[in-house]
Amino acid sequence: MTPDNESELERIVAAELRQLPLPRAPETLLPRVMQAVEAAGERAWYAGPWLTWPVAAQLASIAIVAVLAYAGWRVPHAPPSVVAAMSTARVLWEALIQPLLPYLVAVMVLMGLACVVFGAALNYVLLERVEQRR
Amino acid sequence: MTNAESFEAFVRRYQDMVFATAVRLLGNPADAEDAAQTVFLRAFERYAQLAGNPAAGGWLKTTARNVSLNHLSRYRARWRFFSEMDADRETGERYEDGLESQVSRAIEPLDDLDRRHRLEQAIHRLPDAQRVPLVLFHFEELGYDEIARVLGVSLAKVKTDIHRARQALRRVLTDDDAR
Repeated sequence: MTPDNESELERIVAAELRQLPLPRAPETLLPRVMQAVEAAGERAWYAGPWLTWPVAAQLASIAIVAVLAYAGWRVPHAPPSVVAAMSTARVLWEALIQPLLPYLVAVMVLMGLACVVFGAALNYVLLERVEQRR
Repeated sequence: MTNAESFEAFVRRYQDMVFATAVRLLGNPADAEDAAQTVFLRAFERYAQLAGNPAAGGWLKTTARNVSLNHLSRYRARWRFFSEMDADRETGERYEDGLESQVSRAIEPLDDLDRRHRLEQAIHRLPDAQRVPLVLFHFEELGYDEIARVLGVSLAKVKTDIHRARQALRRVLTDDDAR
């Protein structure tokens, strides 16, 4: 099709589409929305997304998380049970995991790369080739 | 007027616009109703800013478009693969032929319906890959470049898909004129 024909086709279709009336919403939409809004209103404010919380609650939650993070970082005198658990974890780490850590990291990186290569190949075979045939 | 009554009036005012945007992009009234509900729930969360705001209509339209495109993107890759399996690899015309026959079948028992209704139905029956760029161009008034960016496809594909969609609609119109 030549550019002139293309612009003519665009003009004809645009003129027809401009005449289309706006599709009307079904009568069920308004009751559905109001019912959903009512259910959302009955839900506690903290059950909604964090971004919709009141500003004071958002600030308070940030402050609490900051205090907890600081407390976790600077535990002044941990109880003996916590110290024992941490010692056990440290022994396990040093005896079992740390010597193998480079190999574990290498295996994880290789598996990640294999996933990327497989995903790219799958995307090419299944999607891009059919795209190019269009 | 309570907040609920005010919001109900707000929904009444904009529901046709939101639904129209969704149904033209999705091509399916049931999915469009779900999308419209999602849009109005998001609007309710921001109703303090939207109530009485002259930009509310634009916000709703953009949100309806984004919600609809997100809905489609979940199925886009799968749809594209299977729709291509169905397409004629040599000419690429089989889909349009199929559309024409589908529309013709749909039209036969519906002679009393007017031409605009048939055109609207023909838009709904276009495949997503053609209907979405067509609607974004003609109803949402986006340019080819912006459509390519929004859909994450090449500019050439956008132009080809819109061209095929226009051809398919023109066949419906031509068929309509010949009746």
